[in-house]
Amino acid sequence: MSTPASVATLPWPKKAILNWSRLPFTLRFGTIILSFYLLIALTASLWAPYDAAKTGTGRPFSSPSSDHLLGTDQLGRDIFSRVVLGADDVLFLALTSTLVSTIVGGVMGLMSGLLGGWIDQIIMRFFDAVISIPFLVLALLMIAAAGPDLSGNYWLLILAVVVVYAPRTARMARAVAVDLVTRDFVTVARARGESVLSIVWRELTPNAIGVLLVEFGVRAGYAPIFIGSLSFLGFGVRPPTPEWGLMISENRAAIISAPMSVLAPAAALAVLVIGLNLLTDGLSRVFGRTNKI
Amino acid sequence: MVLAFVTLLIVSAFIFWTTEVLPGDIAARVLGRESTQEARAAFRESRGLNRPALERYVSWLAGAVRGDFGSSLVNDRPISDVVLPRMNNTITLAIYAFAIYVPLTFLLSILAALYHDRLPDTIVSVFNLIGLSMPEFVIGTLLIYVFSVSLGIFPVMAQIQRAKTFSDVIRNTTLPAMTLAIVMAVYSIRMLRDSLIEVLDSEYVRMCVLKGLPRTRIILFHALPNAIVPALNTMALNLAYLIGGVVVVEQVFAFQGLGTLLVDSVAVRDSPTIEAVALIVSAIYIAANLFADVMAITLNPRLRRG
Repeated sequence: MSTPASVATLPWPKKAILNWSRLPFTLRFGTIILSFYLLIALTASLWAPYDAAKTGTGRPFSSPSSDHLLGTDQLGRDIFSRVVLGADDVLFLALTSTLVSTIVGGVMGLMSGLLGGWIDQIIMRFFDAVISIPFLVLALLMIAAAGPDLSGNYWLLILAVVVVYAPRTARMARAVAVDLVTRDFVTVARARGESVLSIVWRELTPNAIGVLLVEFGVRAGYAPIFIGSLSFLGFGVRPPTPEWGLMISENRAAIISAPMSVLAPAAALAVLVIGLNLLTDGLSRVFGRTNKI
Repeated sequence: MVLAFVTLLIVSAFIFWTTEVLPGDIAARVLGRESTQEARAAFRESRGLNRPALERYVSWLAGAVRGDFGSSLVNDRPISDVVLPRMNNTITLAIYAFAIYVPLTFLLSILAALYHDRLPDTIVSVFNLIGLSMPEFVIGTLLIYVFSVSLGIFPVMAQIQRAKTFSDVIRNTTLPAMTLAIVMAVYSIRMLRDSLIEVLDSEYVRMCVLKGLPRTRIILFHALPNAIVPALNTMALNLAYLIGGVVVVEQVFAFQGLGTLLVDSVAVRDSPTIEAVALIVSAIYIAANLFADVMAITLNPRLRRG
């Protein structure tokens, strides 16, 4: 099912996509895990036993029981409800930010590769510089720059992730574009007088889509950890949002008396990341590429 | 080399631009929202904030090159006084982490490669997958749970600033160093294992076996040197990761290093300190990447033309 292809021309594997049972195992398993999370994210508000922010639903730090499947945290909030209700925030933040950065980075990279010359040089020099700031430091810089009024704002977090991810994606996309622009169909499109955006969209994007999808997967697999880390440091989402990184940070001191308050969100996060990584691994197999982290 | 300097220059401009020029009023941030217009104006005057951004950038950069980062907005102390001891702590931590990480990687990947597809390999792979999917702060917390709370071997908080003797330093840095080592090892064990398996399958290794060389000799002197090249690059890149990744780990253990300094300064919005730490960290990061490239070229002569 994995058709050998060069990095540049990754044909859309129509047949493989249609036949579920012939897809790589990792892709199927990853899809199942991710669907499960999506289902929870969409429906949790309907069946979660308690409100995520409601304090005093039971004695603080009570151990798991039939009332509280995973026990309660330091404010007596139900851990099970908080974990399942947190799924939509975590998924929304991780997937939106990765999607935006893949699109922004992809378009910038393809365009830069297509235009070439000094524009390309300037864009890539700048991106190289941004990449050489460690990503957490860069994200903290963005958050510091935004000021206190915006702290905990979802769009600020997404922006921080985009600033970190997009240059890396752009570099990848540019490498693909540089290879593609020498092909005849791009020359023809240029001779036909197509605009830059039109060439990027009609000629380059369809050929780069495999690389970009795998890139999306790799980044998406790390995004929950990244955003969780920001929350852990106190610069991510604001309490009492049931974001898993934040929950771990809030309950860390209580790991002895109520281990579930830390282990449950940690496990939820870990399984999500495993699912995303499996999905990426499968995607890269479908597109005939080895997985690169 | 030149490229690295150009990059560093752009980085410094970017850092300065994001923290100083981009957002609103620094004076309002420092003095609080209720401060009077006069107080803000006086503050701006005393800090030279009224000068054009480019001029301020040039003088900041000139100071930074000489190790003078100005003084903190919060307590007016010279930033270099605050940063230097923190940097020493972080470097101690980084060296210790690397000292755990390298043998750990070699041991586990050789083990996994030798027992390829058998039980030891499976165990290593499973632990790898778990490690790959867990953030640093979870690994750190679990280590605290096991070693500090249950076993009581190491302290919960890594108070290196109070450590007097060498054994104190070791006791206080072991857990954070272990966390970092695990996070780094996860990436390179897989790499080294794969390339070892490939090399062990090659004809010259079979030749060595047929010659009757002892197993350890084959692995250490014939297989490892060839398998190590791709892995070494990951190791050097890990060094770069280490510089940035310490931020979270230091926070977990309340370790007084550059990472916690950065987090604290962001929390109180002390922009000169943020700029200083970000610039130092980025410089080390760029140096580590440069080192990785040089390593790769030294070890693989085929890359030298390019």
